[in-house]
Amino acid sequence: MKSKNAAKIRAAVIRYLLLALGTVIFTLPMIYMISTSLRPNGALYEYPPRFFPRWEALTLENYDYILHQSKFYLNFLNSAIVSVSTIVAAALVGSAMAFVLGKFKSKGTRLLFAFIIITMIIPGTTMIVPQFELATRLGMVNQLWGLIPFYVAWVIPFSTFMIKGFMENIPGEIMEAAWIDGADVWTVYSKIAMPLASPAIASVSIFNFLTAWEEYPWANTVINDNSKRTLPIAIAGFFGQHQFTQWGYVFAMSVLTLIPVVLIFILCQKFFVQGLTAGSVKG
Amino acid sequence: MITKSRINRAQITGLLLPGLLIFGMFTVYPIIRLFWMSLCDMSFSSMLIQPFAGIMNYREVFHDSTFWTVFVNSIVYTLVTVPGQMALGLFIAILLNGIRRFSVTFRVINYLPVVTSWVIASLVFRYIFNTEGMLNYFLWKMLGITSGNIRWLDTRWSGLSVAMILGIWKGIGWNMVIFLAALQQVPQDLYEAAEIDGCGAWKKFVNVTLPAIRGTILFALIELTIGGFNVFTSIKMITGGKPAHQTDTLLTWMYYKAFSTGKFGYAAALSFVMALSLGLLAIVQFRMMRNRDA
Repeated sequence: MKSKNAAKIRAAVIRYLLLALGTVIFTLPMIYMISTSLRPNGALYEYPPRFFPRWEALTLENYDYILHQSKFYLNFLNSAIVSVSTIVAAALVGSAMAFVLGKFKSKGTRLLFAFIIITMIIPGTTMIVPQFELATRLGMVNQLWGLIPFYVAWVIPFSTFMIKGFMENIPGEIMEAAWIDGADVWTVYSKIAMPLASPAIASVSIFNFLTAWEEYPWANTVINDNSKRTLPIAIAGFFGQHQFTQWGYVFAMSVLTLIPVVLIFILCQKFFVQGLTAGSVKG
Repeated sequence: MITKSRINRAQITGLLLPGLLIFGMFTVYPIIRLFWMSLCDMSFSSMLIQPFAGIMNYREVFHDSTFWTVFVNSIVYTLVTVPGQMALGLFIAILLNGIRRFSVTFRVINYLPVVTSWVIASLVFRYIFNTEGMLNYFLWKMLGITSGNIRWLDTRWSGLSVAMILGIWKGIGWNMVIFLAALQQVPQDLYEAAEIDGCGAWKKFVNVTLPAIRGTILFALIELTIGGFNVFTSIKMITGGKPAHQTDTLLTWMYYKAFSTGKFGYAAALSFVMALSLGLLAIVQFRMMRNRDA
């Protein structure tokens, strides 16, 4: 019995050691980013390079510089407007579609759902040329609001798929009772189905937020004006601006961009896991 | 069926319509348009004049030596990063599945790279792998493994390797979460039965765990393959395709052709071939996993 216990303890120790090692590897690049953002810009090309800046050299001057540029607030605001609009629109149209596709099963709705899912196989960026042509024709190039319909269309398949699974699990009796009470489709959707599916909608919205908040290829293609840039293209632009990259500024801006993401992630961890695993375990 | 009569068809359509309109206009139409563009002699400067060109663009794509270079790059990227992420993600999930304390803490930390945006993560990796950067200093001056600064970002395979390391680093967390969920659903008595039969840890993994989570493996395989061919931002940020498109992937090359040389027809043909191949590949992957089931 004793040896078995010892073996168990040894196994647990190995597990924790390996996990700790993994944690170091996962966090090292991020720690390096933060530590670089905290050292003076002139010391960025110091040799030998240091992983941690000297204690007395720690400075907030990079943050000071970024936060004193009105551009940064504009970029931040642009990203926030686009992301929030995207998640609100996607939640509304996605849950409406999911409700119909999940609760009114017919050959037509099944086919429609299958079609929507199949489009997920195509990598989004392959469509960038016809989408650019479309945006040009509709006068959506270099317009902040022009990003939103593309992002919404982009997240619709995943959102519909996720919320539909939840809608299907709403017991039929609840809806049955509503029909007998004389409720119409719209009322059942808005008063019963949508509130009951809100955990799924919340979970989808977090993912949609991340998608819109970090989207780079499309925004970089259609937005030209500095004042209309979202954060990812502002950071990328900062990086390419000078012959010698001002890494301190780039990483200070990166850290500021990541703060809302990490906060949302940690606060909404439960929804995250729900959303991720919904599609995978059913297989 | 009283219920059926109450169900208002117009309202059902009304609920579907906004989503269908947006999806139809900004996703379905571009897919169809993509196919048509690939058959036309189209360029950025002459968006209005689009003479039909048949398979000219496709011929140009397949006769282009750079296309084959970036094609190989994309294949290698996918073949390395997909199994890499899945194996490491599954490994961490197995470790996590066996512990009680700090499980959530580890999960949250390991997932952080996934929520870090591609632009930022790519820049961090570029900084680390800089010729005068931290990694070279560490390998050369501290460990003495190398005998000088290696120009990681300036050659084809080392540049791609940096992007692949980033791809794996950033993808492990996602695999960990979905595999952990799958592992938690494996019936415990299967393991007990295997133990009675005298199976060791490895045999239990091969004979019990792997078959039980096959659905999740298939799901991850399809998703990640699409993701592997979708690699774009990291290449653009880390190497920018340098030197001379040696590190470009299918999409960064397509993007260059479209927006730097204005060859929309060429780009459309390349994109369409990609979309079609990935669709076929997904079907094959699906079939392969299903057949093994029987």
